[in-house]
Amino acid sequence: MTDLLELKGVEVSFDGFKAVDGLDLTVAEGELLCLLGANGAGKSTTLDLICGKTEPTAGSIRYRGKSITRIPEFRRSRLGIGRKFQVPSVFKELTVEQNLEVARSRHPGVMRNLRQLGVRRGNRLDEILELVGLADRREVRSEYLSHGETQWLEIAMLVMQDSQLILMDEPTAGMTIAETTQTSELFRRLRSRHTLVVVEHDMGFVRQIAERITVMHQGRVLAEGGVAEIENNRAVRDAYLGSRGIGHA
Amino acid sequence: MSHRWFLPLLGYVVFAAALLVVPPILGDNVFLLNKFSRYLALALPAVALSLSWGYSGILNLGQGASFGLGAYAIAMHLKLVASASNANGLPDFMGWNNVPALPWFWEPFHSLGFAVLAGIAVPVILSALLGGFMFRARIAGVFVAIITLAMLVVVNLLFIDQQRYTGGFNGMTDLAWLKIGSLEFDPYSRAFYYATAGSLIAALFAGFLLMRSKFGLVLQAIRSNQERVRYFGYDVARYQTVAFAISAGIAGIGGMFYAMVLEFASPTFMGVTLSLSFVIWCAVGGRESLLAAAIGAIVVNAIQGSLSETFLDTSQLLLGAIFVLVVLFLPRGLGGLIDDTAGRLRAIKQRRAAEAARAAKKTDAAGPGVAQREATP
Repeated sequence: MTDLLELKGVEVSFDGFKAVDGLDLTVAEGELLCLLGANGAGKSTTLDLICGKTEPTAGSIRYRGKSITRIPEFRRSRLGIGRKFQVPSVFKELTVEQNLEVARSRHPGVMRNLRQLGVRRGNRLDEILELVGLADRREVRSEYLSHGETQWLEIAMLVMQDSQLILMDEPTAGMTIAETTQTSELFRRLRSRHTLVVVEHDMGFVRQIAERITVMHQGRVLAEGGVAEIENNRAVRDAYLGSRGIGHA
Repeated sequence: MSHRWFLPLLGYVVFAAALLVVPPILGDNVFLLNKFSRYLALALPAVALSLSWGYSGILNLGQGASFGLGAYAIAMHLKLVASASNANGLPDFMGWNNVPALPWFWEPFHSLGFAVLAGIAVPVILSALLGGFMFRARIAGVFVAIITLAMLVVVNLLFIDQQRYTGGFNGMTDLAWLKIGSLEFDPYSRAFYYATAGSLIAALFAGFLLMRSKFGLVLQAIRSNQERVRYFGYDVARYQTVAFAISAGIAGIGGMFYAMVLEFASPTFMGVTLSLSFVIWCAVGGRESLLAAAIGAIVVNAIQGSLSETFLDTSQLLLGAIFVLVVLFLPRGLGGLIDDTAGRLRAIKQRRAAEAARAAKKTDAAGPGVAQREATP
């Protein structure tokens, strides 16, 4: 496996507070990496750094061997980096299928999109709507969706976007147990085509999906390894899991 | 064609048909016809504002600048035509200001084609430059409003200050009628009305298609959540700049008709009052629909016209009251009210259908009779 993404000595400080402090992280192509850590450990900031929401104060970020440290978000997205945010963010005033049309962004240029009229219906749209169970809601404005449906819509948008690297910030937040199980099934399907970096608190969910876990603590990598390895790691227990009891988090 | 297309399109067609039958209804009342032409000219900047504000979330308080630039461009041409018999063909106000010869930048305005092109291109280019700078810097919301307002004031002051070339406070009066070939457009004529109505209808339909293109969809997504759109790979600033510039072009066309219908161009066309009025019309009609914005402009102007005949001084007060009430109780305007109701009904209908389908599935074992009873709302 080759490295898809590489962060080296990355630092971010907000008014002197170092949210990320000398972070080294590599993600191999086709991997599913879980980021764990207590609140404020720097997990979301790490995702922000990769997708371009936050600029590092030091260090470098490389994607497919090329530096992306200083390029704007939309260019990173065009290179194949997709992001799901912690708070489900869809376009409220647009319908479900319009949301998905915006997510279909292989051709993001102005001129080309001036020529395309409306939503391009077809197998791919149907498949994705079916996949997330929104087939009968396609023409509903997304502000009328339930919280769970909104989460699914955003995941569907990421599938539509078809990024090589997908960054997910707490994809199961606010989901029921059944929905969480469904999500883990979806993740297994995504695995075959995409590389995923997932921030997650739910240890049960992490056990279902993860192969490799990176635990962060105070802006640095505390430990890396398989699920069992991490669960038995003393430093991790002390810093994070132990405080609330493993599996309970 | 889904209902998302059909119903709005039907609205546009009905509106267009209504505009076309106005002259036969008014008959010989040319003063009223001229008034209507004026309302239609003013509907154009409202449509333009709906494009940038309603669809793209760019609150442009300086739309008057584009409108005024359009008006001055055509006025320069018509002034030259009217001044043909003067010494050196010099416009009267230049004579009063001791300008010896026609300035070089006035020369090309002898050509109608150039004037029309300039009336569109100048606002477009100015807006593209300003927009490019603003949106690259990720300026949004209220700051866009402040910057566009500032630009309006700058352009306005510039035109007032350069009295020698623009007529200053008085602007340009006594304009000739527009003449294309042997066809003369008397602003009190049906031909002029139809030209104005035709432009408005064309702008509405072009805007309708534009906003239903994927470009329009991305703009609406940007309005809804700018940040999110960036992570799908769209160059948000470029989309906003293009929308801003297109909007300026339409406002410029409106300004041209406005100058022609009033037969003069004045700095008030790019004044703060008129520019803010565009916002009011747009808000009353409903900024999220081009048609609603156009109707808002026409209705508010018609009300204003008749109120000012009856109440004189208090008409502005009444108008202000209408605006306050709309903002308080119908933040999305009259068009928004209709749209909200339709959307809610649709959602209820779909949910009922889905529930009925579920109920039918559940009660399959119990026999078809039960399912049927449950499925009927």
